[in-house]
Amino acid sequence: MAEDELVFDLPVELDHVQEFARAVGEDNPVFFDAEVAEQHGFPNVVAPPTFTTTQILQVSREERERRLGANLDYGRVLHGEQEFLYKRLPVTGETLKGRMRISKDFTKEGKRGGSMRFVTYESVFTDEAGDEVLTARYTLIETAKDVG
Amino acid sequence: MSEVQRTSLEAITPGMGLGEMVYGPLRREDLKAYADASGDDNPIHQDEEYARRTGAPTVFAMGMLPAGYLAHALSDWFGGPQHLRRFKVRFTTRSWPDDEIVCNGRVVSIEGHIVRVEVEGRRRGDGPPELNLEREQVALIGEADIELPE
Repeated sequence: MAEDELVFDLPVELDHVQEFARAVGEDNPVFFDAEVAEQHGFPNVVAPPTFTTTQILQVSREERERRLGANLDYGRVLHGEQEFLYKRLPVTGETLKGRMRISKDFTKEGKRGGSMRFVTYESVFTDEAGDEVLTARYTLIETAKDVG
Repeated sequence: MSEVQRTSLEAITPGMGLGEMVYGPLRREDLKAYADASGDDNPIHQDEEYARRTGAPTVFAMGMLPAGYLAHALSDWFGGPQHLRRFKVRFTTRSWPDDEIVCNGRVVSIEGHIVRVEVEGRRRGDGPPELNLEREQVALIGEADIELPE
């Protein structure tokens, strides 16, 4: 029986934030250096805007599938869209609480006659005070079986 | 980082271009570094033979890597990441090893303190010869809301 919501922790650790920032080519010191981040009004080193995609390290694709039960065939799945809504950016030293659910699941007819299924996983992240930090929407597209 | 910093509303007008930012060229090591940092360990982005078995001519970038570059560009265009309120992208084609990712954007509207921008990332490069790709293609397209002071 699929669950409605999957709750997990997302630790925002300095080494990981720096590694992620380097991987997206960042050179702004607010992503690396606490002193500079503080000069810019952040309480600590800032996580880059797309950092929460690292949620896959906390909830694997297999676990997500097993618990939320979208029943997708990953041989036919593409990452179609991604959206983030920010109250603020995460900072190092905090652990966010993520709540993931399937917020949309619909099928539409494609241009070439095959149907495409869109499944959106929405994760709402809150901080230790319970305040919302950001929402991430990860949309997968499952393409039709026999359209070339 | 960008030399022009658009950190207040008075510096912004609708229609204004944000200026091209170029990242890459993407090396296989960059795909591996992003895989390690992000946890996206799908072998289709790292394992040549695996990618071929799925029908791709070679490995290609996970969409969130050029999306990360586009977020990087947004941060630099507006003087830091703290003003970002929304960022949305749609992936339109894959990016390949040796591609550069050319990010660009344009101010669409200003409502209150929110500046809405359209953004895109184009892949630029030869691509795998088997695919006979155009040299430059839009790989991701999207929009963002930036909250700026007066």
